[in-house]
Order: sequence, then C-alpha cells, then structure tokens
Amino acid sequence: MKRIELLSPAGDIERLKVTLLYGADAVYIGGEKYGLRANATNFTLEQIKEGCDFAHKLGKKVYLTLNIVFHNEDMDGVEEYISAVVDAGIDAFIVSDPFIISYIKKNFPQVEVHLSTQDSTTNYKSVEYFQKQGIDRVVLAREVSLDEMKEIIDKTGIDIEVFIHGAMCTCYSGRCALSNYVTNRDANRGGCAQVCRFAFAVDGKKDFTFATKDNNLAKYIGNLIDIGVASLKVEGRMRSLYYLATVIGTYREIIDRYYDNTLTEDILEVLEERLSRVANRAVSTHYLLKEADATDQYYTGRNEASNQDYLGQVISYDKNKKLIKIYERNYFEVGDTVELFTPQGERISFVIEKLYDEDMNKVDVARHPDNIYYIYLDTNIEIVTYSMIRLLHH
Amino acid sequence: MKVLVEVMNKKISNYVNSCDALLLGLENFSVLNSVNFSLDEIKKIIDDYPNIQIFVKMDKNIFNDEIDELRRVLLELEQMSIFGVFFYDLSILELKQELSLSFDLVWAQTHMVTNFRTCDYYYSQGVNYALLSKEITLDEIVDIAKKSSIHTIVEVVSLPSVGYSRRRLVHNYYDDLGEKGSSILSVLEKITKKNYIVKEEKEGTGFLFDEVLNGTSVISSLYHADVDYVLFREEGVSSFLELIGDTKKYIAGGCEDSSYVEKYKKLGDSTGFFFKKTIYRVKK
Repeated sequence: MKRIELLSPAGDIERLKVTLLYGADAVYIGGEKYGLRANATNFTLEQIKEGCDFAHKLGKKVYLTLNIVFHNEDMDGVEEYISAVVDAGIDAFIVSDPFIISYIKKNFPQVEVHLSTQDSTTNYKSVEYFQKQGIDRVVLAREVSLDEMKEIIDKTGIDIEVFIHGAMCTCYSGRCALSNYVTNRDANRGGCAQVCRFAFAVDGKKDFTFATKDNNLAKYIGNLIDIGVASLKVEGRMRSLYYLATVIGTYREIIDRYYDNTLTEDILEVLEERLSRVANRAVSTHYLLKEADATDQYYTGRNEASNQDYLGQVISYDKNKKLIKIYERNYFEVGDTVELFTPQGERISFVIEKLYDEDMNKVDVARHPDNIYYIYLDTNIEIVTYSMIRLLHH
Repeated sequence: MKVLVEVMNKKISNYVNSCDALLLGLENFSVLNSVNFSLDEIKKIIDDYPNIQIFVKMDKNIFNDEIDELRRVLLELEQMSIFGVFFYDLSILELKQELSLSFDLVWAQTHMVTNFRTCDYYYSQGVNYALLSKEITLDEIVDIAKKSSIHTIVEVVSLPSVGYSRRRLVHNYYDDLGEKGSSILSVLEKITKKNYIVKEEKEGTGFLFDEVLNGTSVISSLYHADVDYVLFREEGVSSFLELIGDTKKYIAGGCEDSSYVEKYKKLGDSTGFFFKKTIYRVKK
C-alpha cells in the first residue's frame, strides 16, 4: 500500500527547504501570479526551479497553486506561464478553474493537476465529473466528514487530499466575497482580507463574530490513512520557519509511528502538546466527525496569541568547541531550560549554562532578536543547519 | 434581452405579465430564497403559464447522501417543460451528462463566473447559459458577452449575496449568548458602516449586502452587448412589480427611454462592482 503523503506549505525558498528537511513529502508553493496568497512572498520562476531541483534530489515533489478564479485579464499570459513552470520542473498544479485544468491536461499530460479546495468539492458525483476531465487528485472541501471521504474514495478511486492542520474559512471556499464587499480586496484572486475574523456590531447586543477555530486532525491521522486518503495537507503558506518545522516534524512523527505501530496514546498526547505550542488559536476537528457547531467558533473577535517559545535557528555547531551558533528570534538567558530539535527528528533538552555574543563575549542574556549568539552544549547528536531551539521554561 | 425574475412569493400571476422568465427556488436544493417551490408546484406553474420560461434554482452544495435524491429530482424535472437549471455543484452537470437530460443548464457559481474562456469551457460541456459574477465590472461583462459563445445572464437588481457557510452562524451566536433568537440578523461592519443581513436556513447561513444593487443604469449597455437575460431578485426591493414591468417596456423600446434610468435612481446609488474593480495585491 502506498504510504500517505505529508504535504506542506512553503511561502519562500527557505521555507521550502526547511519543511522538506523536516519531513514533508511534498510542498505546495505560489508563483508570482495566479495563486490565492497574492500578498505572500511567493516564488519567481528561478526560485521554482531551485525548489524543484532541491526537492527532486530528495525524492520529493513540488506543487504550484494556480487556483485563483480567473478574470478575463488574468488569462493574458497564463499559457506561457504554465509552460515556463512546467519547464522549471513542477510536479503538479493545484487548479480551481476547469478551463485551466483542461488546458494543462491537453498540453502537458505529464504533469499532474489537483483540483483546488476552492471548488468546494463535497460529493462523489462532482469528483466523477472532474475525473473525466483528467484531474489526478481532489482536495476536498473542508466541510466533508470522514465517512463521506471514505465513500468518495471507495466510489471513485481517486487520490484525495485532506486538510489536517491550520486555519479554516467560515464559508465554503470560493463561495465568499465578503472581502470584496467590505475591503474591495478580491477573495478569489488572492486578496482575502479575512473579514470572517472581523467583529460586526448588532443593535443592543454583543458583537456578531463568526471566526472559526483552527483545524487540527492529529488524533485522526490513523483513520485518514486507513480509509485510503492519499495526501495530508497542512495549511499556511505565510507561516514561519519555526511553525513549519514544528508542525511538519510532528506530523511526520505521527505518520511514521502509525505505520510502525508505535503511536501510543501517551506519545500522541506529547505530540499534540508540541503542536499546541506553536498554535496561536484554539483548535477543533470541525466537520470530520460531526456537523460543525457552536464549539467550533470564536465569539469574542480575534483570539490570537503570539508565541515566544521560538528562541532561534541553528546556523552551525562546532563539535570541537561545543558551541552552537544561533540566529536569535526571542529573548532567552542563562539558566533557561530549552529544547533543541533537528530536521532528522532528534531532540535534546538542556539548561543553558554558557552563552556568548557574536564577538564571543560571555553574556547572561540574549536580548536582541536577529543577532548571532553562541550556546555551549556538549552532545554527540548531529546538529545541522535549520535545527531549532525552543524554550521549555525560564 | 429578456427579463428574468426571482420571485418572493408564490402568487405567480403577479409576475407573469411583467417578465419573460421566472427563477424558482427548489425545495431542499436551493439556498437564500425567500420562497421555495416543490416539484408539484413547479409543474403546476408550467401548466398554468406555458408562455413563460421557467428556470429552476438548484444552487446548494451537495453531499453524498443527497445524490440519489438529486438524480430523482433531475429526472422528474426532465419530464416537465422547464427551460433550465441554475447549478452550483458540479454533480448536477455530471448527472445531466450521465442521464442525457435535455434541459439547459446555467452555470451559477456565484462569485466564480468571471471570464470568457471558462464560460466557453462550460459551453463545450453542454452548459448553454452562465449567470455572471456580480463582482466583475461592466467592461468585463461586456467582454464576456462578446467573446464567449455562452448565453449570458446578469444580475442587475437585488440584495447581493456575498457569502455562504454550511455553519449555523446565527444559531451559534444566540447559543453563545444563551438566548433564543430569530434566524435573521442585521449586522453592521464597523469600518465601512455598511449593513449586512445574516440569514440562516436549513442548508447553512448566507450573507446579503443590505443595499440594493441598482444596475438599472447599465441595462442599456447590457442590451447593446447582447446579454441574454437581466436578473431581478425581489427580496428587499420596493415597487418590484412596477420595476420589472417598466424594465420590460424599456428593453422592448431598445433601451432608449432615458426616463426609465432617471426614475429608478430611487433604488439607490449602489452599483456594486459594475464600475469598481477589485484589487488583490496590497503590498508593494
């Protein structure tokens, strides 16, 4: 049986590399045009090629979002763009527009086309329609339950991709123009202003809010594997390196342990706690097991906590001097208990005993984000670039 | 160009002399209608008013457990002389092809009907009509009408629907308050100071912009661009019967009577996106 794919977002080339190193089997990225995150950094054609080369050397894949709802003017140049992206080595396009789907399948049959969740596909008959148009994979609507996913897979045999982690839309994807009306930003062309996270006034009553909690299906990865889902997708092309390293690394471990029969309840609890440390909103499983209800929403406007756990990214480790060179992101000090984790899944907890600034002056605190510091650590673990350090407790 | 009307009540006799076609919401398969019709009621309307075109609105998102019923309903509609079905979910197109149904389809994916090439794609799949998105400009509409083979329908007067969720958003709001409330809520967006109607129903919750889209001033341009239908939705629009009757006369006269446009300035100055282009890149 083919192992399930772990699919990660990547907002830029560095995130692409990090997330693949941390265990993603494939990444999805946006180009400079035609993706639904118009305001993310996004990839130039050269960067797409670099990303594809990097991924392919690891035996992994890169998918490009081409999932805006096209206006007449957006059609200008899209054919040339698709051709250039194919030349750059892309493995699949994620598309919502059926004209674009038919164009790619006709002209580049060697490249996969995945139906975007923007189409809000919720039943097997719609899947059958797109199968006949040559679609290789369907990203189901987030409103579909586990039983419905199984029925779709059983009846169509198509590859199904399921969102397992990250932010949720309140409305059906594609069926929302609130952003257009409130801010004039086109939701279906990458400009969504997330109006569903605004608070609206109601005469004589508490504000009306309808934002949803984030999605987190960590507990149900085994169920998704068992019913034959092809790909597990994490949301968030604008998320940080630390977020991606933590979330992808954690899901990698959940998936691998499920296949190895080592995913005990205790271990899952630890892994879920790890995911919760990078979450900035409460989470829910939404429609997976039931109709979404009042418990899946917020009622007090934006509920987002900033996270100070991430202390820094490892640049290198000098085995002789036993010094970790890090790029600092948040305040820490001597005496803090921290955890270092690597792309290979190694983890080590330790207390910071000695700390040096960039000029090797001994210091007690690292208080200047974006500066270089050195931490003393005596370990045999292989500490590589893109390892990261998080705070456990002060 | 024909006048198509989405009605707000079941007294069809009120409408038939003032329009060319009716859009009827179908029970269990239609969203955000003030009134829905059963198959029997639709059949009776067709029998009673054979000279008016009947479109049936089936624009809900459809789930696995509704497919069998959907098939049954489509087969029943095939036995009636309906003109076409407005669809959102692609299962309807799939079933039309699978069952070789003869009625026309109208591609009606609310905010997604935005370019001529995709219209032509659907046309090649046997979909002869498209209800164009309300979030594109008049220039874009004219361009689609000119360049695409598909027959076009443009919504010109309505309270515009702006979003649809499967969630029970109004119920959940009152649940959180610990109160019982109605299924409709009027809310104010605080920065723009604009009101929206949040309307919950069995299928989910919809958002309507609480200002009448007044496209009466663009009807002439649509007429000259060979748009096939202009759509009027009754909900929230005053003097509706007079409006559609006047519109029918205005179109019959080649859209040359400037007093029509002058008269219907009273509907308000909200022209939606006819003259306003959306943006999507906000960073330099």
